[in-house]
Amino acid sequence: MSPLRPRDLTAFSLAPTTVNLPPPTDSDSGSLVLDILCYTPTPTFVLDANLRVIHVSDSFRSVSSHLNRDQLLGIHVDDFCAKVTLPSNALVRGGIRAAQNTASSSMLEERLHDRIWTLRTVPIIRNDTVRCFLMEVQDTTEAHRRQLELEERSYTNETFKILVDTVKDYAIFMLDPQGYVATWNAGAQTFKGYTKSEIIGKHFSNFYSQEDRDNDKPGRELRDALRDGRCEDEGWRIRKDGSRFWANVVITPVYKDNVLLGFSKVTRDLTERKKAESTLISAYEEASKLKSEFLANMSHEIRTPMHGMLAALTLLLDTDLNPEQLELARVIEESGEVLLQVINDILDYSKLASGNFPISHDIISVSDIILSVFRTHEKCSKPNVLLQKSIDPKLPSAAEGDSLRYRQIVQNLLSNATKFTDEGYVRMQAKLQQEDDEYYTILTEVVDSGIGVPAIASGSLFTPFTQFDNSATKRYKGTGLGLSICKSLAELMGGKIGFHPNSEGKGSVFWFTAKLKKVKQLGQVELLQRKLETLSTASSTHAFDELRSLARNRRILIAEDNAINRKVMLKMLTGLGFESIDVATDGNEAVRLSTRQIPPNNSSPYDLIMLDINMPFLDGTQATKKIREAGIDVPIMAMTANALKGQAESYIAKGMTAYIAKPVDRKLLVELLLSCLQKRDGLG
Amino acid sequence: MAIPGAKDSIDEATFEQILEMDDDEDEREFSRSIVYDFFTQAESTFDKMDANLARSEKKDLKTLSELGHFLKGSSATLGLNKVKDSCEKIQNYGQKKDEKGEKEITEEEGLKKLETTIEQAKQEFHDVEKVLKKFYNDES
Repeated sequence: MSPLRPRDLTAFSLAPTTVNLPPPTDSDSGSLVLDILCYTPTPTFVLDANLRVIHVSDSFRSVSSHLNRDQLLGIHVDDFCAKVTLPSNALVRGGIRAAQNTASSSMLEERLHDRIWTLRTVPIIRNDTVRCFLMEVQDTTEAHRRQLELEERSYTNETFKILVDTVKDYAIFMLDPQGYVATWNAGAQTFKGYTKSEIIGKHFSNFYSQEDRDNDKPGRELRDALRDGRCEDEGWRIRKDGSRFWANVVITPVYKDNVLLGFSKVTRDLTERKKAESTLISAYEEASKLKSEFLANMSHEIRTPMHGMLAALTLLLDTDLNPEQLELARVIEESGEVLLQVINDILDYSKLASGNFPISHDIISVSDIILSVFRTHEKCSKPNVLLQKSIDPKLPSAAEGDSLRYRQIVQNLLSNATKFTDEGYVRMQAKLQQEDDEYYTILTEVVDSGIGVPAIASGSLFTPFTQFDNSATKRYKGTGLGLSICKSLAELMGGKIGFHPNSEGKGSVFWFTAKLKKVKQLGQVELLQRKLETLSTASSTHAFDELRSLARNRRILIAEDNAINRKVMLKMLTGLGFESIDVATDGNEAVRLSTRQIPPNNSSPYDLIMLDINMPFLDGTQATKKIREAGIDVPIMAMTANALKGQAESYIAKGMTAYIAKPVDRKLLVELLLSCLQKRDGLG
Repeated sequence: MAIPGAKDSIDEATFEQILEMDDDEDEREFSRSIVYDFFTQAESTFDKMDANLARSEKKDLKTLSELGHFLKGSSATLGLNKVKDSCEKIQNYGQKKDEKGEKEITEEEGLKKLETTIEQAKQEFHDVEKVLKKFYNDES
């Protein structure tokens, strides 16, 4: 290849925008050049150095209707511009100026009728002199629009990328479809401690604890995200250094054209919030606990002297009082009992509120409970109020539950009903609402024809410390705790409580349900014994005299391991008129003594057996079982210092007839003995 | 009938019931015998508890609980509230429960609490013993 001369080099260096036009000749190359100029699809015209038009392409017709080429050729560019639609003179002058100044081609735009036109001016230079100007006009509206769009899009992308990259309060990154980290941002680096190069390509399960990984929590989260379109989780995540932080994580699958690209993962560090939350919660719990403890302590402290007061009052009432004194003493007694009830309510409430309220699971009979409550109220019902009961025969005779608590609800609803009913009726009804393999659901209702509950108050009936009518408080005493206690109790029994107006006219219906677990059927003897349980409510002096008359010739067995208690019981019973009392010091002895057969008719040696619950060798309940198994059906009274709630019913369910707490209250003992002996007579 | 210095430690109503069983209010033979029997019983029960605690091999918490229950019964009958309450705690701790018998505690905790509570019960017993001896005019 021959070396290029400098002039040629200049010519080549201007390529491709500079065309070295050969002098016009008739040669083939000359006609080719003419063809190019005439038939180029780009609207083109050529000016000579004096700015006269020397060529116009055929295609120029598409931008300017003037096509009489002869009219255009040879005229000055200013005249040319005046004749054609495009380009404007100013644009052409601009192109020429640019070409003269830079000796290179230029592009200039102008707008006409909402379109953008571009004039490309190419100076044709020969021997450093501009020979002519090649000018092309093109509609670049579309290209222009595309360009703008592209710019806009790339600006948006860029902005998003910067945004994501620089956000420090959120870890935002992508996972590939298998869960490997694909992108990383500054927030992610801050939270998790990994730099971009350390983590890209690693699996995201690295952020989870070993336990979570063992449970395949990461995999589960991806599957959940795929299934639900999103997966959100709060939990501990692990940093690179092994420390942990409380994170909120949202995983979202990302699709493009229905193809899964991977998952976006946005993580927030909520450690501070979590800490603040738990501080708040523990502060609240502490305060609430203190409140409940305070309430419980206060009630307890008040209860002790109250008991003393009431006990002294009982003794006072037994003395010879004149009618006026008696009246006053009765007022004290009544107020004292109300006060004690209030204190007990508050004690219960504070226990329920603090969540440590024990519910026992003894064997209970709902119909017995209802009958017992009914009987108690029957005695003191108002003259114009008819007390009724209706018990579903399908009610189970035995089920697992807390008898004391069940009774408390029934009692409370019934006292409310009688309190607010001056005439008409109060009806208790219980029915088996539902039964499955494991549970009975029992519905208990108390229906009354009383003053009813205004609709406005029905919503807050079960809220603590509210009474629907403050003016009624004067007339109807109470703490406003009763129903809220009942609600908590019903809920503890797996049930609900509610109210609706009485459909039979005026009055209310209060109802509650309880889920009681099924037990296997009790034996016949036990069932028989259960029926014996009742309390006599005869007045104490009357009861005392009555017992005295019954006690003579009655044979009693006391089984008690503690000599002191034995001695006291013996003395007490002797004082009550019993003359034939045997003692046993443990359960075995009690069984041996009570199962001896006495001729001539093989009757039982005793009319009543009193058993301590905790005794060596054989305790009270085991002894009872043996005695009952021997076919002996005399009343058995349990004695215990374990005065826990619901215990009484469990003893009764185990075949005992009655129960008395230690220290034995003489008045109560008299009542119980009387009721046991009367039942025995009735049975015999 | 008020017992001087018995506030808090003796439940009046319960003790009154025992006193009412006395045939002669000056002699008070029955209640006196009961009270003195109780002194004996309490001493021997505390001795048994001490012996159990002094054992070098594994302490028998169950036995301590039973002893607590035993003494609880008689102190309750007499209305000796403080002693009774402590005995109830002994009974509960011995069953590895908290003082109210509600929550579980460990054996070590139970044993620790047993040691202090038994000491407390003894102290309470000796306090009430003084009061009762004074009541029965026995200043020895």
